[in-house]
Amino acid sequence: MAASVPEWALDALSDVYDPCCREKGISVVEMGLVKSVAVVDGHARVELLLTTGWCPFASRVLDEVERAVVDAPGVTTAEVAVVWDEAWTTDRLSPSAARKLRFLPDPISVPDRESYIAAHRTPSQSVEEAS
Amino acid sequence: MLGDAFVFDGVAHPFNFTPKNAFGKPGEMFSNHLYAFHSALTPDSATTLSAEEFLKDWTPADIHQMVFDESDVDMLVAMPLPLTDLYRDGLSPWEECAELASRDPDRTVFWGSVNPLEGRRALDLVERQVKEFGAKALKFYNVRYDYGQPFPWRMDDPRIAFPVFEKAQELGINLVGVHKGVPLGPQPIEHTQTWDMDGAAANFPDINFVIFHVGLPFLDETCWQLIRYPNLYASLAATVNFIVRAPRMFAEILGKLLFWCGEDKIIFGSEAPLFHPQWAIKAFMDFEIPQDLCDGYGYPQLTDQAKRKILGENLLRLHSMDVEQTKTRLGRPQSH
Repeated sequence: MAASVPEWALDALSDVYDPCCREKGISVVEMGLVKSVAVVDGHARVELLLTTGWCPFASRVLDEVERAVVDAPGVTTAEVAVVWDEAWTTDRLSPSAARKLRFLPDPISVPDRESYIAAHRTPSQSVEEAS
Repeated sequence: MLGDAFVFDGVAHPFNFTPKNAFGKPGEMFSNHLYAFHSALTPDSATTLSAEEFLKDWTPADIHQMVFDESDVDMLVAMPLPLTDLYRDGLSPWEECAELASRDPDRTVFWGSVNPLEGRRALDLVERQVKEFGAKALKFYNVRYDYGQPFPWRMDDPRIAFPVFEKAQELGINLVGVHKGVPLGPQPIEHTQTWDMDGAAANFPDINFVIFHVGLPFLDETCWQLIRYPNLYASLAATVNFIVRAPRMFAEILGKLLFWCGEDKIIFGSEAPLFHPQWAIKAFMDFEIPQDLCDGYGYPQLTDQAKRKILGENLLRLHSMDVEQTKTRLGRPQSH
């Protein structure tokens, strides 16, 4: 996680979930959605990256982030801004979130696409496809 | 045509945003959500409509004008949207789509839509949409609503989904689209994921299935399924509209799709009138995956050949149409 997110904010947001990840128990912190948190005179400003940017539940995540931050000591008001000019990428996932969510490696680490696919088909998938 | 690319727009919805069509606050919120989507992603170079201009009853004539008079689109899919728990008519009823197609039947293809949970009634409606209204494909939505609660169903359900697929095949239909990924309201997330496509694709190898919106945010899952089933495809509808405002995000998505699934498996859709088709197709035609992403992640570059396939040729093939013949017959010189 970037140094621009203080420890207290990581703690405060560790129970806030994007609805798509709630059932997997992956918080917005582990998803790497939190870009920065800064507090000036008791007012916190949170910058958030969205994974797709078009989920109708996005506003709910924003509300929950705001609520969690405003409950923190030393914070009286908070605002949450979506960062649009930077893409969320899978590099931002925590190691445990990456293990839970990622299925495919970056192409550059796959020397032979066909071999990779052949090696990762499960027997049940092969049977299913042949049926 | 856009240059030498035949443009077959894979989705337009004649939306009915009139306030009286929305069911209370949830419908109103969904309309506002779509307007926010329109205003946030339409680039400065294009016209962003005011809320009053956007939130209206879009007639088939309006859609036809936007797509064919104001854009370099050569063919279009008129596609229903049955959000029957949010809007009295579902927002984009199939009858309106059939009418849109009938205005210009050479250039506009009607895709039908039914609710498989309705059993016999759904089968009868498939027959009617195909035989009477010329539907060339079907589009499904896995989470239906009634009485204020979601009723999800799966594409691999032998009792719910398969009878409809069998009926489609009986009527000569071998193309089926499904909305996946982004939830259309408070839907159970697991039913917007794509895992049920394995069973559908494996059991109906002669049907080509299109996963709309590339299943976002479940892109890895979508790729893994397209890799393994030759009859699965991915539509960039709405996803492509991040191309100007968030080009690196779009490049990540496209690069992954190109590497894992290949340029033959990706199709374009404008979502008109949510987004005006012209700015998106032009931006796509001019788009390159940033070189640092190709170098850093190993993504292939988006070639001119890939652009032609994605903008139209792949969808022509899915409709069993000859690419060169159709280009000659229906390709219009670029005029915008």
